[in-house]
Amino acid sequence: MKQEIFLRDGQSGEAVPAELISGISDQTIEMWANTWQPAFDQVRNDFQLNSVPKEKWPEDAHWDWGNKLAMTKGCLSYEPYSIMANGSLEGLMLLNNTKFARLPQQRGESLIYIEFLAVAPWNRKELCNPRRYVGVGAILADLAIQISLASEFKGRIGLHSLPGALSFYRNRLKMSELGPDQSHNNLLYFEMTPEQAETFLAN
Amino acid sequence: MNPTKRTMTLNLTDPEMEALDELSSRKDMSKTAVVRQALRLYQMVDFRVRDGQKLFFENDLTKEKSELMLL
Repeated sequence: MKQEIFLRDGQSGEAVPAELISGISDQTIEMWANTWQPAFDQVRNDFQLNSVPKEKWPEDAHWDWGNKLAMTKGCLSYEPYSIMANGSLEGLMLLNNTKFARLPQQRGESLIYIEFLAVAPWNRKELCNPRRYVGVGAILADLAIQISLASEFKGRIGLHSLPGALSFYRNRLKMSELGPDQSHNNLLYFEMTPEQAETFLAN
Repeated sequence: MNPTKRTMTLNLTDPEMEALDELSSRKDMSKTAVVRQALRLYQMVDFRVRDGQKLFFENDLTKEKSELMLL
């Protein structure tokens, strides 16, 4: 299933037609391996040559999307999504619809948990200037909220953030921060309430 | 994104329908959404158990764990 969307060109600012796709096909995984992985390898080499501190390296470069998809295939609780533009893979996301909220005001309620969200290396401001497209991550986060609404979870979403993405979830999505989670490598856990979802969608 | 949906008739006993009504009301979700969520959860539990895993509930305060019995 596909939905037409528009991405913003990182240089011209023009809207570029793209597709938001429910599912991640074998061809998409092949594209990820043949385009994202070499780009990450290049970044790693450049960073190593320039002695860039490891904490600034892409934290998700080791994510094996092929393995993630294989592990969750056929399971209704996992929903994979991808974004394609001009024949190129621009974003990937894996949602889990069987998690429960932790914030006191919505504790025990169902939410959509973002297991993994990644945009192509050339769409990241810390790796590429200008980026090919801007706002791919926000489109995927918006989709997670829409899936939550469609599931009758009222826009509630949750996620553990890698350190490099904290600012996005804190400042862009304005989610509630629940602190480090020992069961999740001490990554910070974030949750969005229905009110926060409404505010995000209105902006 | 609206996937194609199919309709089915569900035959429930009175206690089962009461439980569905109660969950639907408490969660502020339609009965369809509750049944859909129950299916997702049951399938996930079934996958894990068939994979040799156990399902536990943990008390947040005491950290006491209790295994969920699957009959």
